[in-house]
Amino acid sequence: MPPTVPSPPLEPAGRRVAPPVVNAVAPQVRSGGVRARLARHPEWFTVALIVAMCAIVGAINPRFFQFATLFDLLHSATTVSLFALGTLVVLASGGIDVSFTAIAALTMYTITKFVFAWWPDAPFALILVAGAAGGVLLGLVNGVLVHRLKAPSLIVTIGTLYLYRGFLLTFVGTTFFMNIPHSMDGFGRMPLFFYRTVDGLRAVLPVSVLALVIAAVLTWWLLNRTMMGRGVYAMGGSLAIAERLGYNLRAIHLFVFGYTGMLAGIAGILHVSNNRLANPFDLVGSELDVIAAVILGGARITGGTGTVVGTLLGVALVTLINNVLILVGVPSTWQKVIIGAFILVAGTLQTWQRRNA
Amino acid sequence: MNQAVPADPFLQVVGIHKRFTGVHALRGVTLSFGRGQIYHLLGENGCGKSTLIKIISGAQPPDEGELIVEGTRHARLGALDALAAGIETVYQDLSLLPNLSVAENVALTGELAAHAGRLARTFDRRALARSAARALEAVGLPGDAAFQATLVEQLPLATRQLVAIARAIASEAKLVIMDEPTTSLTQKEVDNLIAVLTNLRAQGVTVLFVSHKLDECYAIGGEVIVLRDGQTVAQGPIGDFTKAQISELMTGRRLSNERYREGAPGDEIVLDARGLARAGQFADVSFTLAAGEILGITGLLDSGRNELARALAGVAPAQAGELRLDGRPVTIETPADATRHRIGYVPEDRLNEGLFLDKPIRDNVITAMIPALRTRFGRIDRARADRLARDIVRDLQIATPDVERPVQSLSGGNQQRVLIGRWLAIEPRVLILHGPTVGVDVGSKDIIYRIMQRLAKAGIAMILISDDLPELLQNCDRILLMKKGRIASSYRADQLHEADLYRALLSEAA
Repeated sequence: MPPTVPSPPLEPAGRRVAPPVVNAVAPQVRSGGVRARLARHPEWFTVALIVAMCAIVGAINPRFFQFATLFDLLHSATTVSLFALGTLVVLASGGIDVSFTAIAALTMYTITKFVFAWWPDAPFALILVAGAAGGVLLGLVNGVLVHRLKAPSLIVTIGTLYLYRGFLLTFVGTTFFMNIPHSMDGFGRMPLFFYRTVDGLRAVLPVSVLALVIAAVLTWWLLNRTMMGRGVYAMGGSLAIAERLGYNLRAIHLFVFGYTGMLAGIAGILHVSNNRLANPFDLVGSELDVIAAVILGGARITGGTGTVVGTLLGVALVTLINNVLILVGVPSTWQKVIIGAFILVAGTLQTWQRRNA
Repeated sequence: MNQAVPADPFLQVVGIHKRFTGVHALRGVTLSFGRGQIYHLLGENGCGKSTLIKIISGAQPPDEGELIVEGTRHARLGALDALAAGIETVYQDLSLLPNLSVAENVALTGELAAHAGRLARTFDRRALARSAARALEAVGLPGDAAFQATLVEQLPLATRQLVAIARAIASEAKLVIMDEPTTSLTQKEVDNLIAVLTNLRAQGVTVLFVSHKLDECYAIGGEVIVLRDGQTVAQGPIGDFTKAQISELMTGRRLSNERYREGAPGDEIVLDARGLARAGQFADVSFTLAAGEILGITGLLDSGRNELARALAGVAPAQAGELRLDGRPVTIETPADATRHRIGYVPEDRLNEGLFLDKPIRDNVITAMIPALRTRFGRIDRARADRLARDIVRDLQIATPDVERPVQSLSGGNQQRVLIGRWLAIEPRVLILHGPTVGVDVGSKDIIYRIMQRLAKAGIAMILISDDLPELLQNCDRILLMKKGRIASSYRADQLHEADLYRALLSEAA
């Protein structure tokens, strides 16, 4: 007969176990080695590229080294950074999302149109929250589909990319607005900081840069300090093992795609207010640029790795290539060539390090 | 320990039934696991061992029956319930996340189970590091920050295994299930593992071993549980059974411990290797192989035996030396070269290097001879392929209703036979078998040995690379012992005792 009274606990928490007498099998942990360290921190490669590029561009065109350039770069990097942080989270979880641009386009255009038609005086905070909520909703659709269908997330999000975009162009509209709601316009013009350059121009650091900072800190905190974040990496390491260890894959899938959707929704709203224009044909098509930036930042396309710092560096590198090569007279068509070459080099280095590490 | 260990069992498994489509995998298994005991779960592939473990560890629900954990009845356990109850399973893949640090692998699972799997919370990193350090030191690993921060993918296999055990300790496990833990370890690492587990047991932790290696079970001691056809056929202290009795209980038939080797090698030299070398792996390897001969090659993991096998098969070719096949010099640079010269290679890691698991048995059998099956228009002669596959399935006694089934539906022993069958299809001159019975049960071993002897009789020259000494002694004509990349000595198998060979094998340090 099985006992009906639960037995007393064997021992309270914190069981002390005396170390066994074992043969020395302690591993030789490979330390030192430039290559080993580079394998663990691939973002140094990105740092090197950024420094080299700034040095070269600065040497040719000394005007590069001024705050105005930095402000411009930050301005144009904001939207991409938000996308990239979301992509980082998806890649870390072992998935991939290409629908975020469609999510951004759908939310930004729908909300702008709606607000303009019904409530032109809506406060910006509310618009931003609506954008985030819309993004979460569309992202959750991705999450549910990926989890339920057990399909590769690339396939699912290619599907939703077309779905969201088709929905936008068919049912919401295809004309673009030059007039956007006042509060969005106001936010776009609001400076966080400005000064007059030697040429007498006003160099403005837009307040939307704060979104980049907040999103970066939040993403870092979520990934590194919460169980959810560890779960994201666990799932990216191995889906089957993570499940066996008791990680709730459904929750992680929903979080990952919901969070990416949220960042995309916010990015969409910021995009409209920064450009003072709501164009339904914008954004979609830049997915690969974003993914490329995250990969250049050291995340593996196969999942389970990637850092916020690396991602931001990757974005910085791509933004530099896209914006400053012009300053030294490199034709804009060459930007793609250079990005492609960098990705090939970075990818080769990554596999090469993995094989030899 | 002056702690009184409660007399009631930690876990009782009562009347468990489990059915899969068409298969009654477990038929009323009832077992009781006491505290601080070591159990060995033995049985042939397909006897229900894995199913039983999955049910205990919460990966699958039973159809009937119940699990009683420390007096609490459960109709089924979820993965988290099992972990929270202190049941930890170390699967063969170790369930470690390669991209996370040692500390995270060790301590996060317990943290997760302790909070019912809730993810929306932060965690105390210092407490985590402390708990990881304690657990790592308990298994003899360093607990310092540098080791804790190392990524698991950078560790050698034996260390990973200890990390997996450390995780069980950190999660306050009361029952640790280990699924074939010693398969890829060296003898020294196995000894170390046994020391760690014995220590764990002294702390009141129950250990359940699943293994094919009977010798190790005797070395560890404890109770043995034998499953056959989904039922318990024996349970008791392992010392009460002889090896022959256990084998008989597992298979239901008597297996001989005698030499399988019947024939004798022919006179004609088929393969003649002279001074083969590959930088850092092996050097100056020379031997001859006659038609119908079975040549054993053994050595420790770092002896170069695995690398030699892969070189002969063209996977990682030799960089120096000469290889003659039937008196003519041949170069083998790629696996395709080997196939063209009719040298077959059955790799050790059949799952990753040998088989297309989700493809039908037929496709797996014919891969080596696709050129010969091509019709005039470049298509594959389906009917001939089917016929050939069916012949081989019958010939090698592969247990399957038809050749359309995917290879992964077969047990380990049958998968191995599919791989051997692939090479029979090209009528090989030389067949290299690399650990052909790793992870294969005794019944299947018997069949594989008989097949090997039959092939030798038919004149195929064979090289058997293995660390299973009885296997070498039972099947080979000669045995080459490799040390540090060189052939250290050569023995005639019929005059050799296992103990002598074992001593020679371990005298490597000298």
